[in-house]
Amino acid sequence: MPANKHKVLIANRGEIATRIIRACCGLGLDFVSLATAGDLASGHVSLARELGGEKALYRIESYHDANEILSVADAAGATAVHPGYGFFAEDYRFARRTAARDRPLTFIGPSWWAIRDLGDKISTKRIARSLGVPTVPGSDRPVYDELEAEELARALFAFQDEQGVESGCVLVKASAGGGGMGIEEVWNMDRFRSVFRRVRNYAKRHFNDEGVLIEQRILDFNHLEVQIVSERGGRNHVHFGTRNCSIQSLGRQKRIEVAPGFVPGEIGYYFDAAGVLEAITRNSLAMAAEVGYDSVGTWEWIVTPKGEPFLMEVNTRIQVENGVSAAIARLRGEPGVDLVSEHIRLALGEPLGYSQQDLSFEGVGVEYRIVAEDPRERFAPWAGRIERFQWAERPWLTVHSHVPRDAAYDIPMDFDPNLALAIVWGENLAQAKERGKSFLNELVLEGAAAGGGEMRSNIGFLLEKNQNILEF
Amino acid sequence: MLNVKGLLEDIKASPYEEIVIAAPHTGVVEFAGIRPGDKVQGRSGTWKEKPGTVLAHLTREKNRKPLCAPEKGEVVEVHVELEGRFVEAGEPLAVIRHFLTRKEVIELILKKALSLFPAPEKAKYYFVPEIDQKLKVSGKRSVKLRDGMEVFIVSRMKRETVLPYTGPGGIIYSVYFHRGDNVDAGQPLIGVCPEDQLSLIQDVVTKVQSEWEEVE
Repeated sequence: MPANKHKVLIANRGEIATRIIRACCGLGLDFVSLATAGDLASGHVSLARELGGEKALYRIESYHDANEILSVADAAGATAVHPGYGFFAEDYRFARRTAARDRPLTFIGPSWWAIRDLGDKISTKRIARSLGVPTVPGSDRPVYDELEAEELARALFAFQDEQGVESGCVLVKASAGGGGMGIEEVWNMDRFRSVFRRVRNYAKRHFNDEGVLIEQRILDFNHLEVQIVSERGGRNHVHFGTRNCSIQSLGRQKRIEVAPGFVPGEIGYYFDAAGVLEAITRNSLAMAAEVGYDSVGTWEWIVTPKGEPFLMEVNTRIQVENGVSAAIARLRGEPGVDLVSEHIRLALGEPLGYSQQDLSFEGVGVEYRIVAEDPRERFAPWAGRIERFQWAERPWLTVHSHVPRDAAYDIPMDFDPNLALAIVWGENLAQAKERGKSFLNELVLEGAAAGGGEMRSNIGFLLEKNQNILEF
Repeated sequence: MLNVKGLLEDIKASPYEEIVIAAPHTGVVEFAGIRPGDKVQGRSGTWKEKPGTVLAHLTREKNRKPLCAPEKGEVVEVHVELEGRFVEAGEPLAVIRHFLTRKEVIELILKKALSLFPAPEKAKYYFVPEIDQKLKVSGKRSVKLRDGMEVFIVSRMKRETVLPYTGPGGIIYSVYFHRGDNVDAGQPLIGVCPEDQLSLIQDVVTKVQSEWEEVE
């Protein structure tokens, strides 16, 4: 690491906070962590105390309060701030503020202008179109006016009708949203107005911006991603391969992620799958180089059943699923790549130290998101107490979790009820699936709701979907 | 029949509550010279727009914010050892003994008289936009409820669902939650007064008003 040793403030919680704490320790960096009153039982709190002592943890009122975070940074003598994912990870104003204040901090993420230009779905679409990169048909700016929104939706229905789509569908999305939140489908114009109003109200409540996007819903698509990494200054862009995140819950929340995005060697596709992976990787790298992207980021694509890719958005942050790409990556033939560490190291100004030729990919990685939710009730989040959460350690398995294994844990109400990310590696898809199945079958997860109701989780859903991973 | 007199006697036996003034967020504390025994004023004005007595200032990111007494009362404890120090959110700074006002006593007693609609689960609750608007424009007692009417939005773990009201028809008389607060399962959200009991409720209010003496 650089001679000027940094102290990293981790402005996040849960599983990602535990990974950042471990990455900081691995890089020899000091850190300070945060927790709200309702989140003190989270594993990141005990890990921060264990690895950093009592002074490595500060109680704050909210993870959403920038003043709170920056005042702790000053009090704790932090020199850098890591936003994790969610919260301030894609807030360019926050990134700009960290750099522009009297006591500047290094933002562990892209430069603020890169977040501004690429973090916004609309701006990304404009940049992509200017480079000839295909994007999803729909509005290219946030819509606030109901009549304008209706006009756009009518045009999209008419377009799908012309394309011979039997029952067209339009997506209504909160412009400032992300991660599948604030998105609804509309199947006919009669319902459009009420859905538009609902999404606009939701956007106002959760993102303080009523802007709504109207897009064509592409049915039966696959959701692919390209993992891009580059160093400060927007130089030396490399990719860490592709991921397939098509297995999602009803609320369009990712539940199983797989690297690589397709396996043409094992599954027969009706289109040139290898060609699609090559095209989306090439286009993502070209776009990253063109805008001078200078951190770890993800280019998200949708691929139609005919094998046509459309760029959906760019996530200018470390993704939840970064570990599944790292699982299949080999640096000069060696495993053990950690993208969370790379993200920190590069943001603090270290050179990349390798090129695309030094990277290779081996086997298949599958990430299962273990979530307390009820797939039988439209994936409704489940709240209650986790009494037992245990699994057998395996050489091919990595589990990231903030749920304590030595004590009961009450799931906090303010966040998604994610319990763990389990990453399984196999020499090929068949082996990865088999290992995933055995992990899920052996996993012990027990708990009870406050009223004595039965514990709900998505393990059954994951087992069912595991059978058809990467089939398209 | 509600025993208003009995309830009043119970409250009179312990007519105050102790309010712990905790740091609402992180910052450097600077007390405003308060000492145990000092009398403080709470928020006042038609819309509670006038702040109470300043107890301390909390400074973070160059923002010096006053921390005021939320209610009228007497200071019983001040953590002077924290003067000039950076404190974490939730750190207790002072304690105020607040004597219950007539209005608070009425609310306490009405909780026994009104039909309470409790939160079915721990979550954040909002009124649906139409009702929210009506409450803001015309006040609480302008909203008439009937069984099965969609009244609340339940926000839990970033997901929202609509919650219908179940119970006797009537008007919203009291609201017990604030926008953005987490409400525990079983805690009352609203108190509903059936229209045929409005006069009974008014009697309770009148009785408390005449029998409760406020501490100056």
